[in-house]
Amino acid sequence: MVRLRSILLFLLLFKSFGSIIAEEEDQIEQFSEALLLRPLPDRKVLAHFHFESKVPPTRTHGSHHHLFPKSIYQLVHKFRVREMELSFTQGRWNYARWGGYDPISSRNAKPPGVELWATFDVPQHQVDASWRNLTHALSGLFCASINFLESSTAYSSPQWSFKSFATNIRYGTLPREAVCTENLTPWLKLLPCRDKAGLSALMDRPSIYRGFYHSQRLHLISNEFDLAAASSGMVLEQTLTVVLQPVTLGSGMPSSVGSIQQPSWSLSSLFGRKVSGRCVLSNASNVYVQLEPNLVSELKTTSETQQQSDVENLISQAWSDMSFEMSESAVRVIQEANGFQKESCLLYEFSLENSSDSRPFDLEFRWKRPVTWSSQLAPLQAHRFLMGSGNERGAIAISLKSVGRSEYAKSSVNEEGRCSLRVDVFQVVPWYVKVYYHTLKVFLDERLHSLAYVVERTNVSPSNDKVSPGLMEIALRLPCDVHSVILTLEFDKGFLHIDEYPPDANQGFDIPSALIKFPEIKTKMHLFEDKSACKSPILSKLQEESPVLWYTEVLLVPLTTPDFSMPYNVITITCTVFALYFGSLLNALRRRVEEEERLLKSKAAKPSGPIGVLLSKLSAKLRGKPLEPPTPSSSSKVSYKLILRVILVAGIAAAWQYFYG
Amino acid sequence: MPEGASRDSAMAEISEAPTSSDPPNTKSEEEHFDPKTMRKTKPGLKRLFLTLTVFISFLIALPFLLKSIEIYRAPLPFEDIDLLSTEMEKNHLLFPCQFQVVFVNFDDITAVNELGLLIDSHMQKLTSENSPPCGACGNNVTVAVTIDSNSNCFHSESGNGDSKWQCGMLNGFDKVNDHDEDFDEYLESVLDSKNRKVYTVVVMNRKQEDVRTVVGKYRHAWIVGNDSVEKAVEKMAEIFIKVFVNGGKEEGSIRGEFMPVGADGKVVLSFSLLNSDPHDWVYDWDFKELDEILLAPVVDALRPVADISVESQVLYHTPKSSYSYWDDTQGSYIFSTKDLPFFVNSNEWHLDTSTAAGGGQKSCILYVPSAKECPLKLQLPNGEISMTNGFISPMWGGIIVWNPPACVENFQMQHLSRHKISSEDLKMISEVFMGQLRQLFGLKSESLYVGGFATSVLLTSDKGFAEWELDVLSRHHTCFNLLQCGTTLGSLSRLVQSLPRMIIMDEIGKQVKYSLEAAKLSLGNVSLGYSDASAVSSRKARELAEDAFYHPSMMSVSYYSFEHCFAVYSPFFLPVSLHVLLAVMREWKRYKVENRKYLAWKVKVKVE
Repeated sequence: MVRLRSILLFLLLFKSFGSIIAEEEDQIEQFSEALLLRPLPDRKVLAHFHFESKVPPTRTHGSHHHLFPKSIYQLVHKFRVREMELSFTQGRWNYARWGGYDPISSRNAKPPGVELWATFDVPQHQVDASWRNLTHALSGLFCASINFLESSTAYSSPQWSFKSFATNIRYGTLPREAVCTENLTPWLKLLPCRDKAGLSALMDRPSIYRGFYHSQRLHLISNEFDLAAASSGMVLEQTLTVVLQPVTLGSGMPSSVGSIQQPSWSLSSLFGRKVSGRCVLSNASNVYVQLEPNLVSELKTTSETQQQSDVENLISQAWSDMSFEMSESAVRVIQEANGFQKESCLLYEFSLENSSDSRPFDLEFRWKRPVTWSSQLAPLQAHRFLMGSGNERGAIAISLKSVGRSEYAKSSVNEEGRCSLRVDVFQVVPWYVKVYYHTLKVFLDERLHSLAYVVERTNVSPSNDKVSPGLMEIALRLPCDVHSVILTLEFDKGFLHIDEYPPDANQGFDIPSALIKFPEIKTKMHLFEDKSACKSPILSKLQEESPVLWYTEVLLVPLTTPDFSMPYNVITITCTVFALYFGSLLNALRRRVEEEERLLKSKAAKPSGPIGVLLSKLSAKLRGKPLEPPTPSSSSKVSYKLILRVILVAGIAAAWQYFYG
Repeated sequence: MPEGASRDSAMAEISEAPTSSDPPNTKSEEEHFDPKTMRKTKPGLKRLFLTLTVFISFLIALPFLLKSIEIYRAPLPFEDIDLLSTEMEKNHLLFPCQFQVVFVNFDDITAVNELGLLIDSHMQKLTSENSPPCGACGNNVTVAVTIDSNSNCFHSESGNGDSKWQCGMLNGFDKVNDHDEDFDEYLESVLDSKNRKVYTVVVMNRKQEDVRTVVGKYRHAWIVGNDSVEKAVEKMAEIFIKVFVNGGKEEGSIRGEFMPVGADGKVVLSFSLLNSDPHDWVYDWDFKELDEILLAPVVDALRPVADISVESQVLYHTPKSSYSYWDDTQGSYIFSTKDLPFFVNSNEWHLDTSTAAGGGQKSCILYVPSAKECPLKLQLPNGEISMTNGFISPMWGGIIVWNPPACVENFQMQHLSRHKISSEDLKMISEVFMGQLRQLFGLKSESLYVGGFATSVLLTSDKGFAEWELDVLSRHHTCFNLLQCGTTLGSLSRLVQSLPRMIIMDEIGKQVKYSLEAAKLSLGNVSLGYSDASAVSSRKARELAEDAFYHPSMMSVSYYSFEHCFAVYSPFFLPVSLHVLLAVMREWKRYKVENRKYLAWKVKVKVE
């Protein structure tokens, strides 16, 4: 009994001690870095850098930090930002090949250009002012034209489709923003080691920007201003996702079956650099290699055909029997614990702890046999395109096509037993594309259906000319067995004022990406509930549930481009007409018609050579004097005077040019 | 010529109104009448009048047109601006100050007023040696003299009533030499200079060898010893002028124009701890301690001069960009004063400007060298090693190199361990920062003033700045603000006048007007002696002037050029004016010709 009690006491003590440790960990600033590499089915490699800075709330920790960037902290406090995400993207995420169902793609696939959204902890009427100031501050901070999001025609406030349960949210995109190294440098400046040490040293600018997809993201959560005690301070998550085409390493095995050999790669062949040690300030710096579930099952089947090995081989890293090998041995292998799914992904974890300048870390991934697989896809593939022709009107169509897999269905069976799938569509359209929302049509499997049949919820705020963009949020409830869904909306193209055209007006205007969201289909990695695994922020991020998202293409709408010299032409022609009218009026008032006619008659009565008459007529016209009989002396005099006059005018013009030109 | 033709031509000469048909004249008249040179009727004025009317109405309309296409320029008071800027440049702003002298235990003096005049003349001599800097005390200086001996108590006439020294206050006080601080406090309790703003020097005649001069933390100083009156007077004048008025600065040191205060009167002190190579060691500081204990009093003390806020950051991987070499005799790496311009590595030191700073940001940098260059020491030009191991860059901030104990002890550091700078070190660092701050503000950071007549001990305040130093700063600040306001407005007016077709918004006009008003108010307050009010309004004047100068509409050159205007209006006015001008000219010529004909006919008729 006594013994039991002591054990109980010990357990209690242990528990409280553990909680103290946990609390202490919460009370200090933390920084971690991680790199996740994943071979992609189309011979490319995904590299996902993940940096996370955490800072305890100001109330307990004060406002002086040794890791957290000062500028972000001041930004949050000045504009009372509750949550913010800023992404700079170049290229489009290829959902069909690179996957659309895993946590990385649903979080890090972003629309091209700049996307910024933020929620503020300020009263309703101050949100717009805070947003404007924030855009300017970020624009200065990241050397980008984010300040163009300041204008009320550039941002909108989605109600529920973009982010549920968010108030005071503002969302804006700049599809045409060019992303380059001047945006990356300030982003790196927020990291304590910048690109001087650690994983960020891999970011060789030419290699990164040569990639097929490049997205740098900054996500900030702060509940500094919550009055509740459960404040966890600020979390700044910075990710860089790149898709690179590896330069083929060596020859590898010649492909026997005829299928294309996957290229082998290493860190140095991908980035042109090696990691010469971790950032000493980070709590964890790991490199992960992820094998997708489909690849794992593919590897299993190929190895089964040859030998008896199975997933144990993959875990024990017995490379000899495998289709691939890695140069370093993993610290641990994490397998997804997925009860009901037959496939599960594998994560190899490598630590940078032992690497140094003399022994740089250079992971090499070498394929030995050709393997083909495909990534996990979102339940519906979304595309958006324009219909119609001409500069007057057109239509936007969003098409959703089923990928023909039913495994997502079981999560969304409603009470009546009917399987259904909810899809949220969020679309912002600039005001000069005047969308008629009443023309919304839904085609299920190419048959027109009434809206009431599929639309569950709508929120539409039509655009206001030169004030606000049009915003459409639609929640669709689709039957699971549907193959294709097409939504169409008609629009008129508006006219812009001549000042509102951009310098390259003939290029056309961008309609930002629409967001297709599957709110009921959540994606996350089911890793083993391992205490040590949770310590790594990238793993805990991967284990967080997030809905599957799909950003559609940016649309390019050509608008009528006016001739920009038109105003001046109009001025000139109007003035000329006025001048003509005025001149003829004045002449009509001044002229003596009878007198001139009589003079002409008297001249005609006199015989004269035809040339002489013509000359005298001409000179009379020029001199504006009544016609005189053509005497040789006078006509020479006339031409002499004429020449003098021409010279005089030319002289005046030259003088004008000289003095004012 | 046949008759009908001549008649016809005569008819044709008549202006369109057939006022008088030719009367049938006699044949002899007909013979002498040549229709080419003569006419019988007066030429009509109708068409000439019409064309002239059009022409004149065009001329009249021209000014209206020019007025209507004129660009908007808010009227700026150019004369007032010029007046202010020339006034500020020519005569420095001088403040009225009050001085008081107390002679204790001088039994043999009675001529109080003469003594006052003597001190005044000495002070005049000291000020006339070099032109008074901006913010000095001006001509209307009053010196009140009091003689306090056991038997007598005289007051000079010049002092005003309420600030008089009460005799016999120091009778019981013996320990003058032992505890300067205590005596300073005692004098303050007697004089109450905080509220009365009178500078006082107390001379105590004592039988002791050396003569000591001490300047207190408030607005007074004292001289103790067996000194003659003449010498004491010289010393007094020097303390008044060199210390109390000029702040103990020598000529040629940092001048008052270098006030490190932004246009809005705010200063952000941005403290950065730079770990040049975190692979060797990572140091952290308890900035809260530095902020709350060491900096807060200074921030409070400087509030009348500048609104100071403090922020901090820790940066890593920040090597310096200058070179240092190993010196065996010093046992350390040496960087010399020649290298200082290259010390700051602007590529790697990301000392972000704060979102709160409006121009007045000063960096205070603590540099922790890496193991490769540790210990790192600054060598002065005379070959000595600097005591503070730091330097300032005027207007930018200060840098201190702090050598971590680890590099001296030469022990292996564990990775990942984050060290804290000990609080003793932090205290030392903060003292150096304080000295640098004083230098940034243009004050000296030594505790002795060596003058021509005496060497005075300057008591240091734990707030970092003594009362009289703050007075000096405040006066300089006011003066500098007004000077800056004057030059800014001056350049604004020059710019505006040099670009005659630049648009000037109403707002700029308003800002300039208010800025001028504030400057005038400040000047008035200075002459009246309200130093605080004048500081406030001078700050406002400068802020408004800078706002006007840096107004966004000024920055964008919205410039409607004359060529543009010409191009827009010429398609109408060029052809029309040609029509009008030609019509006028023709009509006028024709009228002259016809009139001559008429006159010729008249002459002929008269002759006949």
